[in-house]
Amino acid sequence: MSSDLVLPGQPIPLPRGPVPQLGSGIYSRDGNIRASLVGIPGYEGSTLSISRTRPHAPSSNSIVLGSITRLSPQQATLSISVVDGVPLPPGEEFTGVIRVQDVRATEKDRVKIADCFRGGDVVKGLVISLGDARSYYVTTARNDLGVIFATSESGATMEPVSWQEMRCPRTGRIEKRKCAKPEGL
Amino acid sequence: MQSNFDRRRINGPEESFPPVYDHEEEAESSWKPGQSRQGRAAGDIRPIFLKAGLISQANGSAYIETEHTKIACAVYGPRQSKTTVYNENGRLNVEVKFAPFSCTRRRAPIRDAEDRSLAVQIQQALLPAVRLELLPKSTIDIFLTVIENDGIEGCIASGSVAASAALADAGIEMLGLVMACSASTVGEEIWLDPTAQEAQNASGSLIVAGMPALGTLTNVWQSGRLAPIRVLQVSSVHATDDRILRAHINHSQGMEACQERFVDIHTIVAQALLDNAHNT
Amino acid sequence: MMAESGPSTSAVSTSKAEQDALRAATFQRLHPKVYLERFLAENLRPDGRELDDWREVSVNVGSISSADGSALVRMGDTTVVCGVKAEIAEPELDSPEEGFLVPNLDLPAICHPRFKPGPPTEEAQVLSDRLNEVLITSGAISTKSLCIEPGRAVWVLYVDATCINYDGNAFDATLLAMMAALKNTRLPKATFESETGRTVCSRKTKIPLQVNRLPVSMSFGIFDSTHVLADPTSFEEPLLDTTLSIAVDENGGLVSVTQLGLGVVGKEDVLPHCISAARKRCSGVIGLLANIS
Repeated sequence: MSSDLVLPGQPIPLPRGPVPQLGSGIYSRDGNIRASLVGIPGYEGSTLSISRTRPHAPSSNSIVLGSITRLSPQQATLSISVVDGVPLPPGEEFTGVIRVQDVRATEKDRVKIADCFRGGDVVKGLVISLGDARSYYVTTARNDLGVIFATSESGATMEPVSWQEMRCPRTGRIEKRKCAKPEGL
Repeated sequence: MQSNFDRRRINGPEESFPPVYDHEEEAESSWKPGQSRQGRAAGDIRPIFLKAGLISQANGSAYIETEHTKIACAVYGPRQSKTTVYNENGRLNVEVKFAPFSCTRRRAPIRDAEDRSLAVQIQQALLPAVRLELLPKSTIDIFLTVIENDGIEGCIASGSVAASAALADAGIEMLGLVMACSASTVGEEIWLDPTAQEAQNASGSLIVAGMPALGTLTNVWQSGRLAPIRVLQVSSVHATDDRILRAHINHSQGMEACQERFVDIHTIVAQALLDNAHNT
Repeated sequence: MMAESGPSTSAVSTSKAEQDALRAATFQRLHPKVYLERFLAENLRPDGRELDDWREVSVNVGSISSADGSALVRMGDTTVVCGVKAEIAEPELDSPEEGFLVPNLDLPAICHPRFKPGPPTEEAQVLSDRLNEVLITSGAISTKSLCIEPGRAVWVLYVDATCINYDGNAFDATLLAMMAALKNTRLPKATFESETGRTVCSRKTKIPLQVNRLPVSMSFGIFDSTHVLADPTSFEEPLLDTTLSIAVDENGGLVSVTQLGLGVVGKEDVLPHCISAARKRCSGVIGLLANIS
């Protein structure tokens, strides 16, 4: 029954009625609905799909986590290591950029990259497009997006105090970041 | 003299040669042209051992063993393509490496033409099956290591089957699983899944890959002398649904038996994938 | 095989256990050091071992018929295949009775995402060099025993190891694979014909290679100058400040000691501790080699 695994290429019998929407892992060819993944087909609403949690490449609207590897006045470069909640294997990463106009939603023209990110910061972002050949375009222009982990100049893990400031618990100094609103607040 | 010296490896003497054996002892192969196949029937393939998911560091993997052909395969990715051109479709990269001890003669650990032609054949067998349109600007890396080689035909066929199983294990979307089988014509007979020695005695060889679930072929590779009708005969073994080819099946008895063998391969792959899916 | 009843109607959702596992894996990916620290604070390691525990080891020999000797070693998930190929060469002028032992380790792209196709990585070069040193200095194989005809013909043993799955501690696994493959090696009886200057071998008479000593290695890592970890995994390796490898033979005699980095935990030198731990461990590993023929 529900535990019946299908293999790529295997036809999926459908009950009579309207043809469902096809999600991931399923395709239609020559009037046949077939599987393209190993797994168990199931419905989510009216969409029939085979879901598998496997590391995958970012796509538009993916939520990604990564660390800042390079800064310039125009953009921050992000080494993406987690895509849609699934970590990539060690050594695997995708490159993303947060352009200066994608850092926050308001007062875009007054954004200074150096006041928003530092090298090594862990950032949560949303992929807005596949970008160019080199990188994916990522935005942090949402309350829940931005820096989620950063170490201060003295090496301590900082706490966010506002959406644009973090405090070092060791020295009490304030450093500027575009912070993500902590989960659960 | 070509220098074998490589600063990045431990080097032996400048020159060394494989052992030369006493001629009087050479009467090992007792098969004579005209005789029928020894050890198994013409339409028999060697038993296949396939296990998916052995390489824990890879996204997907498979190990295949058909008697003396032993191949490990790992799939990495989707990875970000390193090219500078934006590509709507994903890229399928296949690399084959022979272990130095995998062949009768030691293979120096450098890439050669054989590695590449093997990789191209396997890539061609898989390309029509992988849904690369779902993987923009990404690369799927498929690495195969031949641990023991018993004929290039068998390596391509087993390598394709293992790679397809590894792709399925990695959760890469495919239109169907790819199966492959090789055949050689020896005298009047068609021998399926020849060993290196059998292929040497053959006048022509053929490797056919396809997606049995869809009744389509993905790659056909033929070398040596083989009449067109024979190519079709052998191909039809694999293309179970193809009407045009089916007409030829009736031409030769014995091909029906091959169809069954072909189904056998699929059963083994399916079982390996299901076992692995249940374990994870 | 087919689902006659059609797809299930239950919502496609990941279970809670699966989500927890993903969350833990995400944390491990983003903060590997803190992740390891939290385990070590409980005196455990991410794979469930205690700090001084070794992973399970298995050795299989002789399954590769194209090699004159072969072995497959599994150490946890780390998998190394080794094959010995014997060829014939002229000896060096200054050592007319000595054959050659040529060990190499390949870390190909198949074994870990960190490795890319191409020439040997620095890591593989360093490991090959260390393996060569242990094999040569231990005198495990006497190069004189590889002589066919002094000054004219000697055996060259190419001992090639390939890593199929890299989960750390490749050195210990490879040395074990190489020793097992050498113990499994049979050389054809070779006769040098002085009239023709050729060496002719017999397919029928094969002679086991003479193995004099059985060096095995036990490796350790030091994390954060506080914890000594035996047999580190590929996750732990990049986080270690120091690695130590102790090679001993079947009598507990030291063959080689390598320490890369500062070997101090607290105020104590850990080398003596590692040597005694290695001696305690070695009999079990050598036991796997002793029965091979």
